[in-house]
Amino acid sequence: MDAVRITNLVKKYGLVTAVDGLSLGVAAGTMFGFLGPNGSGKSTTIGCLTGLLDPTAGQIEILGHRFDADSADLKRRMGVMPETLGLFEPLRAHEFLAFVGRMYGLDEGTVRTRVTELLDALELTDSSKTLADYSTGMRKRVAFAAAVIHSPDVLFLDEPFESIDPAGVALMKEWLNRYVKQGRTVFLTSHVLETVERLCQEVAIIATPGKLVWQGDITTFGREGAIVYDGQEFDALEPLFLHLTGERHVDLKWL
Amino acid sequence: MNFQLIGHLIGLRYRLLWAKTRTRSGKIALFMAGYLLLLLVAAFFAIAAAGGGMVAVRSGQAERIAQGILTALFVSATVTSVMLGFGMNEVFSDTELRRYPLKALERRFARHFTGIVDPFWFLFLALYLGLAIGLYLYGAGSLVLGVIAVLALFVCNYLAAQVAGRAMERIMQQKGGSMILPFIIMVVCFLPSLAMPMLKKHAGAGKAVLRVLAFTPSFGAGTLMTRTGAAAFGGVWPIAWWVLGLTAALVALERRPPRIRVAQTTRIRWDTPYARAAKVFGPRYAPLVEHWLLFLFRCKRFRLAYVMSLPMVPFLLLVWTRQSARSNPFAAAVGVFAISGLAPAAAFLVNQFGYVGSGFRRYFLFPMDPAAALRASSVTLMALCSVYVVLAALAWVLFAPMAWGTRGFCMLLASGAFGLFTFHGAGLWTTLYGARRSDPNKTMGNDLSLAGNLVVIGGMLVMLMGPMMIGQVRKGIITPDRWLVVVGLAALAACFYLASLRRAPAMLSSRREALLAIVEGKA
Repeated sequence: MDAVRITNLVKKYGLVTAVDGLSLGVAAGTMFGFLGPNGSGKSTTIGCLTGLLDPTAGQIEILGHRFDADSADLKRRMGVMPETLGLFEPLRAHEFLAFVGRMYGLDEGTVRTRVTELLDALELTDSSKTLADYSTGMRKRVAFAAAVIHSPDVLFLDEPFESIDPAGVALMKEWLNRYVKQGRTVFLTSHVLETVERLCQEVAIIATPGKLVWQGDITTFGREGAIVYDGQEFDALEPLFLHLTGERHVDLKWL
Repeated sequence: MNFQLIGHLIGLRYRLLWAKTRTRSGKIALFMAGYLLLLLVAAFFAIAAAGGGMVAVRSGQAERIAQGILTALFVSATVTSVMLGFGMNEVFSDTELRRYPLKALERRFARHFTGIVDPFWFLFLALYLGLAIGLYLYGAGSLVLGVIAVLALFVCNYLAAQVAGRAMERIMQQKGGSMILPFIIMVVCFLPSLAMPMLKKHAGAGKAVLRVLAFTPSFGAGTLMTRTGAAAFGGVWPIAWWVLGLTAALVALERRPPRIRVAQTTRIRWDTPYARAAKVFGPRYAPLVEHWLLFLFRCKRFRLAYVMSLPMVPFLLLVWTRQSARSNPFAAAVGVFAISGLAPAAAFLVNQFGYVGSGFRRYFLFPMDPAAALRASSVTLMALCSVYVVLAALAWVLFAPMAWGTRGFCMLLASGAFGLFTFHGAGLWTTLYGARRSDPNKTMGNDLSLAGNLVVIGGMLVMLMGPMMIGQVRKGIITPDRWLVVVGLAALAACFYLASLRRAPAMLSSRREALLAIVEGKA
């Protein structure tokens, strides 16, 4: 069963098309990388997948059920780390996480236990600071904790590793790998292609405006050493990505 | 000094002002109309001030009257700026300006120069100029000295507002500042009403006060405007000293931002007063109400407005009713009660999502109806503001300047309920259709949308002045005997609020994308 299935997704903002007929499926128990250049429609797609944006056309299924902005039962099984993090800055980390936990219906005992454990694990134990006082990396950790606190079945992470220090990234990767092994699904976007290559089993690459240009198994890089596309061999994700999205060479004489 | 770059920044300031308006259809016309109206008002005020100059000269007390008018204008500009936030917006912060090739002095100059070229300050410039021209036309003083006095007083006024605003912000950031500030405001507010009877009793005291006031910038400017030759220069020194002193104070305040020392702790407190208070709203709304309470009381802007209203509401009630002692003090009290439920959280109740930033999108990610977030926010603000209706009632019981009975008291309470429900009902709609991205930690500045300003300022004026005007037009209509009419109006307002609470949040989903763009700063 596909954990996430998108069929002919279209999202328009007035006359501008952000996503144009995107169709893809993500099998349950997969770490799935959703890649594309800036402005290609990744965050818009995640917005549609999480109920923040209404698709102009197309259909979305999550965990085998049709999904829209009002699908409260499905939202309970989804965890989201938005691109803008979605934090209430005047709150402290434990207050914010407890609020998120309660909104996902966790009982008070579970909320307190999980908040304490998450803060401890992510080294966010100074409860005197508000989220506004935190560095970008620490805020990302809080947003990550908020996405996983209710132990969802599908996790949407929009650029989760950028700005986080290597130790934090390593810990998050370890958690995500274990999470996927339990049959749950991670749908993530990132511009750090090396991380995606090491972490994800499958990748979809989209180009502006939100058109799927390639989807495939990238564990091939490890097993067979290369992926053949368009008659060319690619031994890593980065050259494949650049080939698909259009590598540009512009020479500025004054620079 | 890099004047070319500073000129570009001023141009950018107005382009940004224009761009804010351009993004919403129909606002262009409003913006133009607003500016034309402002110019008309400025012209009108200039003429009125010129009339003041004329009266001053004809009465033979040009200097004293000019000094009085200038002092009133100076205080009005400072208070309006600090309290309502007009003309206090810092268009570019020092951090933003650091990306340009500007030295520290140039950055400071650019920040304040882009701040002073604000339509609000132009209005006061027009008033000062109007008075100077009026005085000159009717034969007092010289035009050149008058214009010099106006420009110097204008700069001094801007500096005074900036210093007062920053000093208040600094007090708020100190431990116990939220208690000290209302005390200071209370002293400042009550001082004139306490001093007046003393001045009337002791004739010599008035002269002593005038001797002290001679050292103020407005008195100096009055002298400079109305005298010629060497006598006029007696007015230069007070303004010069004040400009220098205020500049030094502003630089000192800007250079040494308050350091907030918070002891690090790893202890988590779960059972907070917010959590206990939120439980009253039931299990469905309790987490949302708790989060709103935490959010609001952590916002500097909310804390300042809420705490500052503590002395302001009783003060307004007493001063307003005493001033209307000859006409209809009861009508004045009805007006004050009507606005008492708006004053403590005006900016927040008309723009409930404007301050939450990217957290706004959480309401749509949670497995709940997003309408619950708006309902929780509205009932939280309603509960917090209703405290002030009770406070106004208490002030009336203790200090009412007239005899009152049960009917009158019921009418005042009903007026408070009417204002509370009307404003909070309107606030739900402006939250949806007049939202504006705002900074919760900026204590000064008016960051509301046009609709928000209309509800807050327009609504306050209508509610405050309305009963008195009705009382003037139809004598005897605003009396305690009509208490049932106001109770009926309060019931209607409650229906409006309940209907809004039901309908407006339900429309949140359809406004989701537009609001996300506004609140997250993409529109």
